[in-house]
Amino acid sequence: MNTTTPSLIDEVPALLSDGVARVFDTMLSLPATPAAVRDLHQPGQSLVAGSVGFIGDVNGIVYIHVTAPFARSLAGRMLGMAETDLGGDEMVNDVVGELTNMIVGSVKSRLCDSGLSCVLTIPSIVRGQNFSFEPVGSSERRVLGFCCGDDTILAELFIKLPG
Amino acid sequence: MSVKILTIDDSKTIRMIVAKAFKPYDCTILEAANGIVGLAVASRERPDLVLLDYTMPVMDGFEVLARLRSDPELRGISVIMLTAEAGRETVIKIAKLGVRDYLIKPFKDDLLVERVGRIVSLKPRSEEVARPKRFDDPVSLLVVDDKPAIVEQIRGGLADTPWKVTGADQAGQALDDCMKHVPDAVLVSLSLPKDAAFLFFQNLRGLAATATIPVLGLSVKTALGEQARAQQTGFAGVVTKPIDAQELKAKLCRTLRLETCYKYFQQKEGVLLLRLPREAREDFTNEATRRLKDHLAETADAGGDRLIIDLGELEKAPLTVIRLILFAVQACNELSLKCAISAPDAIRAECQAFEESQAWLFAGSVEEASSLLTDSCRQPVEA
Repeated sequence: MNTTTPSLIDEVPALLSDGVARVFDTMLSLPATPAAVRDLHQPGQSLVAGSVGFIGDVNGIVYIHVTAPFARSLAGRMLGMAETDLGGDEMVNDVVGELTNMIVGSVKSRLCDSGLSCVLTIPSIVRGQNFSFEPVGSSERRVLGFCCGDDTILAELFIKLPG
Repeated sequence: MSVKILTIDDSKTIRMIVAKAFKPYDCTILEAANGIVGLAVASRERPDLVLLDYTMPVMDGFEVLARLRSDPELRGISVIMLTAEAGRETVIKIAKLGVRDYLIKPFKDDLLVERVGRIVSLKPRSEEVARPKRFDDPVSLLVVDDKPAIVEQIRGGLADTPWKVTGADQAGQALDDCMKHVPDAVLVSLSLPKDAAFLFFQNLRGLAATATIPVLGLSVKTALGEQARAQQTGFAGVVTKPIDAQELKAKLCRTLRLETCYKYFQQKEGVLLLRLPREAREDFTNEATRRLKDHLAETADAGGDRLIIDLGELEKAPLTVIRLILFAVQACNELSLKCAISAPDAIRAECQAFEESQAWLFAGSVEEASSLLTDSCRQPVEA
């Protein structure tokens, strides 16, 4: 990987896109194909976002956004359980967090192989109907949309370039 | 003797995925949510294999492995490392640790099973299918609460069931009781001092004999923090105080997968009759939906070809009932069975508010429904 600034801005999203597709295919047997979607917000729609950051030679954070019903469906599918058996949000949050961890883990591995060492933060979850994340300082923001059957995934990347 | 596999991973999701992957095999899955507990479990249970997460807080997989290797009693245990980080340096570091294998997350169940199968001998679990436990089967429950009134309250609330309730006021005693007589489920007060409930849970999970006992937390309704912690730790659920006996029974039935709707299914003379109770709550309709396909398959296997859903006792037809009927009609179509719905006029009108009900066959009584289905079965097939 070319680690000059302009290339990193393009290549990290590409790694992220690859990570999303691979994790959804492997863990859920679901296709996640790139789609021109940039926003999941709809009136009354509850959303769930898992986040994992990476800190080191390159710093950033990734949010994986899905709707709350889709998150529940993913949790049931991943754990082999009926959605009615999942109980409250705790298990769903854990699944979304783990999926995000795997996706960002794959990005981190490729960054490290290219000489940009970093470590991951622990996953965290945000839930709500109307929230957004804004970049501060010199961060760049990229949003990638994916179509997963009738549902949509958004991967939002904030990256602070080295130097 | 079944194989013992210990999973040490701070992710409950991964622990559950591992347990699910090995369900078809004759093995005992032990769990630990962190390295410290994992070492204690390994020391006590001497597992045949450890699945060890590389990245964990407090004590990472590297340190856990180093401690296993430094203990003469444990150094021979095979370890497969699990990691989300596939970078070259990480892989080299892991390989140098002397693990038998490593798996990069994400991984498919069958890959995990294959890699484990190279190290330990995995035998399929016995094919004998046990009859699902029913609500009227004996069940033993252990209640761990330092307030005797709670144990008595639970005992009283379940007095109309054949379930046996024993109490323990301390976690240590409760653990001993579990070792002597393994209960079907445990209810433990989350407010026991010094995090006793959570330590008790970890101890249960670390013992082969008690590793799979479902544990429910008892908690005051507003104690959301300890309830969230319980869910995160791996408790099967939480029962809030003050305890509602009906809710407790429903939660225990869900947790233990007790069949409650068996008394509403009846097979007779080629017909499967599903009679919905007056209060067909969501718990009931969900379970009836889960069990329906099995009952229909049994009916078809026994030569039957009809399903009648009796809504005669309903006061109203909520959406959950409509969904159940939709599912039933589809299931009947898949099995080439005929289906009819017996309903009073008011309930029929509620059902017919849904477009999907246009294709449903309605009758005013079970006898009329049976007659309609018999007549429709007799109609000649058009050439």
